[in-house]
Amino acid sequence: MRAVDDSLMSSTAPVFAVLLPIAGAMLAPILGRTSRSARNVVLVVACAVTAALAFSFVPATMTGEIREAYLLRVTPQIWLHLRVDALGVLFGATVAGLWVLVLVYSLSHMADSHRLNRFYAFLMLCLGCMMGVAYAGNLLTFLIFYELFSILTYPLIVHDETPAALAAGTKYIVYILIGGSLVLVGVVFTYFVAGDQTLTAGGLLGSETDVGVLRAIFWCFIAGFGVKAAIVPLHGWVPDAHPAAPAPFSAVLSGVMVAAGTFGIARVVFQVFGIEILTHLGVMPYVAAFAAFTVFFAAVLAVSEDGIKRRLAYSTISQMGYVTLGIALLGAGAAVGALVHITNHAFMKGALFLCAGLLSKRAGIRSVSEMAGVARRMPWTMAAFSLASLGMIGTPPLAGFISKWYLGLGILDAGQPFYLAVLLGGSLIAAVYLLPIIYSAYFREPPSSSAERDDTESEAPAGMLVPTIVASLMTLALGLAATVPGSPLSLAQLAVDAFFR
Amino acid sequence: MHLWPHWLALIVLTPLVGAALTPVVALIDRRTPTWWALSTMTVTSFAATMLVLRIFHEGPFSYVPGGWTAPYGIELHFDEFSAVVGVICLVGWLAVLFSSRYTDSLPEFARGRTPYYYTLLLLNCGGMIGFTVTGDLFNLFVFMEVLSLSGYALVAVGGERIAEMAAFKYLLMGAISSLLVLFAIGFLYGITGTLNIADVTARLHGFEGPTAPAAVALGMLVVGFATKAAVFPLHVWLPDAHAAAPSPVSAVLSGLVVKVGVIGMIRVYRIYYGSGMFDLTVLNLVLIWLGAISIVMGAFFAVFQDDVKLMLAYSTISNIGYIVMGLGLATTYGVIGASVHIFNHALIKATLFFAVGAIIYRTGYRTLTDLRGVGRAMPLTAVALSVGAISIVGIPPTAGFLCKWYIALGAFQADRPFFGFVLIFGALLIFIYYIRMVNAFYFREPVHAEVAEAKDAPVSMLLPTLVLASLCLIMGILGRVPLTFIEPGVARLLAPLGG
Repeated sequence: MRAVDDSLMSSTAPVFAVLLPIAGAMLAPILGRTSRSARNVVLVVACAVTAALAFSFVPATMTGEIREAYLLRVTPQIWLHLRVDALGVLFGATVAGLWVLVLVYSLSHMADSHRLNRFYAFLMLCLGCMMGVAYAGNLLTFLIFYELFSILTYPLIVHDETPAALAAGTKYIVYILIGGSLVLVGVVFTYFVAGDQTLTAGGLLGSETDVGVLRAIFWCFIAGFGVKAAIVPLHGWVPDAHPAAPAPFSAVLSGVMVAAGTFGIARVVFQVFGIEILTHLGVMPYVAAFAAFTVFFAAVLAVSEDGIKRRLAYSTISQMGYVTLGIALLGAGAAVGALVHITNHAFMKGALFLCAGLLSKRAGIRSVSEMAGVARRMPWTMAAFSLASLGMIGTPPLAGFISKWYLGLGILDAGQPFYLAVLLGGSLIAAVYLLPIIYSAYFREPPSSSAERDDTESEAPAGMLVPTIVASLMTLALGLAATVPGSPLSLAQLAVDAFFR
Repeated sequence: MHLWPHWLALIVLTPLVGAALTPVVALIDRRTPTWWALSTMTVTSFAATMLVLRIFHEGPFSYVPGGWTAPYGIELHFDEFSAVVGVICLVGWLAVLFSSRYTDSLPEFARGRTPYYYTLLLLNCGGMIGFTVTGDLFNLFVFMEVLSLSGYALVAVGGERIAEMAAFKYLLMGAISSLLVLFAIGFLYGITGTLNIADVTARLHGFEGPTAPAAVALGMLVVGFATKAAVFPLHVWLPDAHAAAPSPVSAVLSGLVVKVGVIGMIRVYRIYYGSGMFDLTVLNLVLIWLGAISIVMGAFFAVFQDDVKLMLAYSTISNIGYIVMGLGLATTYGVIGASVHIFNHALIKATLFFAVGAIIYRTGYRTLTDLRGVGRAMPLTAVALSVGAISIVGIPPTAGFLCKWYIALGAFQADRPFFGFVLIFGALLIFIYYIRMVNAFYFREPVHAEVAEAKDAPVSMLLPTLVLASLCLIMGILGRVPLTFIEPGVARLLAPLGG
């Protein structure tokens, strides 16, 4: 029936990619009681093997092969199914890659923190569930892993157990559960209408369905995933949760967990509804308008924010607006830009949050106004920060430029040049909220009160610095190697080709 | 597959006889009643297993004591819904095991009253089993009284001052509902001249006399059973009664006894759908709405409780709301979801009450404020509590998710998507409470030394709790087992609707 069916291949590898981190999570508290180093080694190995599995899907996927595995048939109407398509490979590799960096970073960043077994166990559980989200072959599998990682995130956000962290955690969980419930309504409704829930390129829902029903399902999904994707006005949890969470976790929260919302929107738009029905429904212009507003609104808020992590959190909201916008335009070019921006943003924002963690850990700096002269004390950190910032702004030839280039072309293709102004304006404001940090760090005189501390505080240890720099260099690598086969760009193109066939 | 035919009689008689003999065996030794109750429940459970196996192979079957066939004799009838005896026996067995240490902590039991406690518990289980397997209306009423009266007494056993008041309130509401059911059965007997459920259905079919008495009987039955099931606005007795009772009793009351009302409703539906006398659309709509209100109201009140057991009691009202809504939707998926939730909620709620009971036993505190930090002190118990809480919220892939999924599908099937929303968002409110609980148990510093120094529950409490907690997960993953099991029963129930 469908051309892709010829290339389906049964495989247990995706199952391992989901279960391996979960097994690691189970071992963490057991090993952690006796030996910290044993625990750390096991976790890093589990995480690295997961990443290796995630990357190993790339070559086969490039040849058009799709691996799949049936996990479990709970009831005739409920079954779990993994299916590794190009979009899934892209997201899965991004998640696993960033996770390795973050895990290595946290080993030294979190070393003096409390309840580390709990932290690592939940961190690895989240990785397993995120892999499940990436490789979900049907809506219910997607929903289950999506809900699970959303909930398992809670102990990580409130890890510090301060009143502020608990308040942020409560806000987070309320937002996320409301969103998750909307998605559940959408999933049940879709299943009821379509009688199936497998995610395929052509779209699940038939055009013969009542338009009102289709609209209802669509808005349930968009509002549900929009909470996680931080579409304004559903973004309220993001600026609170990020500063509250430990820095390494902020990196994945911002880098891939918020992106899971946009990933969900992509799945819904391209694989539940399909281009034709959505064009016919005429709902996408509204989504695009919301997304464009998100880009601007969050960027403006970021400028006025003094806390570094809060500023970065608003930046995430703004950048995710690009992704949603790219998907909402329903054009092939814009979609490629949007999907590749998920990956690019993950590493750029990951690097920035890791830098923010170093700044607060080594120099006690939590707000932009304290940044003056810090580059002298922490040159490597600030170099990484600068590179990632430039990428975020969209400087060629860094990663952010690639995604924005495709987004821009896609916007022109879609014949809506107004959104080009949004794109460029958003980048401009990104420069406004990121460059002053760099300026202040390099060119301002450090306050005299901290002059005495200069001798005692120096650059971060390699355990934290190396992952940070690697994440930052990814910004460069993803930009320079964008055209190499197997790069995020090529995967995004492959995925979009299937959707627009 | 040939099976000994008398299991059905045995499953009813064993707990009742066992209950009667408990005070006698107590004369032997102080510890004997526990073992006696456990062995009674073991035999009953074995009978339940045989019965469930038999229905799995043969479909519904009847047993006629002494060879007196209907309409003269009293018939026992075992259908798919009767398979709830399996969960009654499981939870009952575990409750007895749980009680073995728990009863020591109750002041009432200092002077050798323990045997009477087991008598009541066994009577309660026996009453429930009888209620679910009987094929005779009067018998139904008798068993309902057995389990209700033992229930009132079990609530009062809790011993605090509120317990007596709660038991009295429970007694008052229960007595009124029993009267209604009794009157209705009288009406039906007057109309049809028989008490056998199948016969009543057959004789009401194509009944040519005035229909008003049958309608009144229907109304009284529904109100009576709705009171037993604590459907809004007839729920007022439930929170205090379930919170004041000793924890193993709370597990039985909240997990099982309220379900008697629901199973009663299913029996009523069987009669009235089968007879085809009335179009039940209006009644169904009322039930859907009452279910929806119960879901939201129960969850809403639960969120504001500081007392953990009171919160669990309110959440029962919410969950009964799911079941009643599913029944009212009268679509295949809706009724399947409701029936499966009868099983699953029993497991989940028993897990929660056992876990909370173990925590209360160890620490002596029962409010969130007092119990801060208990998650670290009693890790296994707290994990079981968390699993139960996640199940009750209906996070996939736990047992609670099945009911949400199917009843929501049922709502769409009935072309009432609004109730799908209510269902899914009602559960969210409960989750807010659970977040408060997690915060208190894991992320706050203890305020009481007893809590900080508490150890995990003793094995006799921990084992039942963990068994049930793992069942919350297993029944979620193996959801097709209860589902395929109940499907023919639901199809038969709804067959007269032509769907």
